[in-house]
Amino acid sequence: MAHFRLHGSKVLAVEITGDAVKAKNGSMVAYDGEMTFKKKTGGGEGLRGMVTRRLTGEQMEVMEVKGHGTCYFADRASEINLVTLHGEKLYVESSNLLCTDDALRTGTTFTGLRGASQGNGLFTTTVEGSGQAAITSDGQAVVLRVTPDYPLRVDPGAYVAHTGRLQQHFQSGVNFRSLIGEGSGEAFQIRFEGEGLVYVQPSERNTIGGEV
Amino acid sequence: MAFTVLNSRMVEIKIDPGQKLFSQRGAMLAYRGEVSFTPSITGGQGGVMSMIGRRVANEATPLMTVEGSGSVMFGHGGHHVQVIDLTGDTLYVEADRLLAFDGTLRQGTMFMGSQGGVMGIVRGQVSGQGLFTTTLEGHGSVAVMAHGGVIELPITPGRDVHVDPQAYVAHRGQVRNKLSTALGWRELVGRGSGEGFQLALSGTGTVYVQASEEKL
Repeated sequence: MAHFRLHGSKVLAVEITGDAVKAKNGSMVAYDGEMTFKKKTGGGEGLRGMVTRRLTGEQMEVMEVKGHGTCYFADRASEINLVTLHGEKLYVESSNLLCTDDALRTGTTFTGLRGASQGNGLFTTTVEGSGQAAITSDGQAVVLRVTPDYPLRVDPGAYVAHTGRLQQHFQSGVNFRSLIGEGSGEAFQIRFEGEGLVYVQPSERNTIGGEV
Repeated sequence: MAFTVLNSRMVEIKIDPGQKLFSQRGAMLAYRGEVSFTPSITGGQGGVMSMIGRRVANEATPLMTVEGSGSVMFGHGGHHVQVIDLTGDTLYVEADRLLAFDGTLRQGTMFMGSQGGVMGIVRGQVSGQGLFTTTLEGHGSVAVMAHGGVIELPITPGRDVHVDPQAYVAHRGQVRNKLSTALGWRELVGRGSGEGFQLALSGTGTVYVQASEEKL
């Protein structure tokens, strides 16, 4: 199994010994040893995955990296977070997914209104299985724990990923102030309930909610 | 001349009377003591001939001479700064990545074609280095800018390092550098993996790679 480690906070070094990893297209910055790069069709599993990805707009430009040696990945100087999965599911935006172990399966799920509020569309990517994955964030992400007693509310623009058994609810605080353009800029939030971890970045994407 | 890294994006350089330092024009952030900044019309070292050489080679980046006694802080565009100490060896770097360097270093321009002939020229074009690159040689420090921090990768015989041309920052030592292509039918039909070109570096030395595919 490929070994992931961070080289600083912005470069991911993956030691590959004959096996493969999947990475965002064009994210390799350097490697030593022997490597081959091959683009995967849509990044989904098989033809069905490919069609789903096309339809949902969650298609990832993914390449398969295979060989022997160390490969270094980075993406526009964004911070990298390592996530180790032991059979659970990671929900992440396809644009934030940098690299996954080949043993992990990727899929697509419907997120509803929450997805639209993030400015990322109605669907999100899931990563499932056992192995390591690397996700990118704009600035060092914080990992917040959610327990049944402590639900968490997150700005849709700052949400990066989550794992565990969590229910998501979309809530809005739109009132007459927002309508007349005097809003606080925090009109929408996602509420997470249940048991799990949420990755939040110290930066906000442009969302519809951020405007009001 | 002591280069002190203040944080990842700022460097402080102590300067004593009689010492000279070149820096990118406008990159000074603050200074202590009596320091003068004069635009270096010739764009660095050597005389007018070197200047013409650099102009022709398109490696003429606006530089200024810093002299006096005190300490000067440099930073530019929020880019990460990496200090490289040279001990008699040569650093190959693009002129626009130079933030500041010791005035005692010998500055030169290298024709890319001189290392690998026509392929060298092609390599220069692909990696965005152009036909020429700047060399710095001697004993002293250089502050180089990069987008998103720099990692150093050692190159040893028998263990080649391949670098994405867009992420390449600089290299030093006895290094042969050639362009390797991994182009196949996939690239031709627009299904490439985005890693069609790589710089293959072999020999003994160090290559500096930035954590981003963005040029400065």
